[in-house]
Amino acid sequence: MGIRLLGLFLCLFAPMLAARPISYSGGSTLMGFSNSMQDSIYYHYSPSYRYSVGIEVVNDKYTDQNYVYGRSTYLLDRQNTQHSQRNVYLQAGVSSHGLNHHFVGIHGDWETRRWFSGFGLKHVQNKSVQYSETFLQLGVAPYLGDYGDLHTWLMLKSKKDTRLLGWSTYPVLKFFKGNLLLEVGYDPKLEWDSHLMYRF
Amino acid sequence: MQHLQALIILLSFAWGSVAIAAPDHTSDHQHQHQNVEPSAALASKRYNAFIEDLSESNVAIVNVLGMVCDFCARGIEKTFKKDQHVRKVDVDLANGQVLIAYSVDKVIDQVEITDKILANGQNVTAVTVVKI
Repeated sequence: MGIRLLGLFLCLFAPMLAARPISYSGGSTLMGFSNSMQDSIYYHYSPSYRYSVGIEVVNDKYTDQNYVYGRSTYLLDRQNTQHSQRNVYLQAGVSSHGLNHHFVGIHGDWETRRWFSGFGLKHVQNKSVQYSETFLQLGVAPYLGDYGDLHTWLMLKSKKDTRLLGWSTYPVLKFFKGNLLLEVGYDPKLEWDSHLMYRF
Repeated sequence: MQHLQALIILLSFAWGSVAIAAPDHTSDHQHQHQNVEPSAALASKRYNAFIEDLSESNVAIVNVLGMVCDFCARGIEKTFKKDQHVRKVDVDLANGQVLIAYSVDKVIDQVEITDKILANGQNVTAVTVVKI
């Protein structure tokens, strides 16, 4: 229990521990997620490019529960080059059901205009169940659009949810134009895995 | 599952210590990858199209690292457009360059430009100002 609380504390309060100055104010994002295990709507606000805080309303299909997560994501590391960007993020959240229902995670990505790779690791602790989600994702852009164009990514995602058996690997299509992003994947076992995002 | 949590926390410490020790370490890479030179940008079709309908303006040509994604560069345009002196912004993903047209009464501060780009999570390597 102690190690879980420490993990939560580190992730939620990492911005303060790192003492990063707030250099940017403004961005907020609305997201919708839907897959065979849950549907959710997530809104977050970024006081700086280093972290965001938000609220996620979840319809958990596995436990047949509804709850709200208070969430925080922290940019742990970023490397910019002319042709690429790499990011590592920490995330954590606490549910409206109490401290015993929470998650911690780490995810990262590396991308160029042509190639994308990403990973994620998330552990969820609930009163009735604890589980982990792991994913790996690779993608390629079939064409390089200019700023403002419709951008398309062809991706392959491998995902493991310890509540289910084994890994699932399935194709994902990602589109974005302007402030709108849509990601849709389909696996016969998991069915649809979709993600819609609008950045204000 | 405790092993997983311990791994996440250890990774947090490892990466966090790097981030704290070198909070601006992205700038370490600034001189390793030079973008298109501003002089080359001045001769480009994109630049000529950008200034076509402009007069009495100062144009800042900003070379940026890490601007690889349209979706991620949206904040740059939004941030600069909040400035009432900014008349026009263009983002060139292919060359990692941002063009910003200011009204002539604006004193262009390169540090301000650099800070605004950093606030979006990218790094500036060069700023050139041209009077139109």
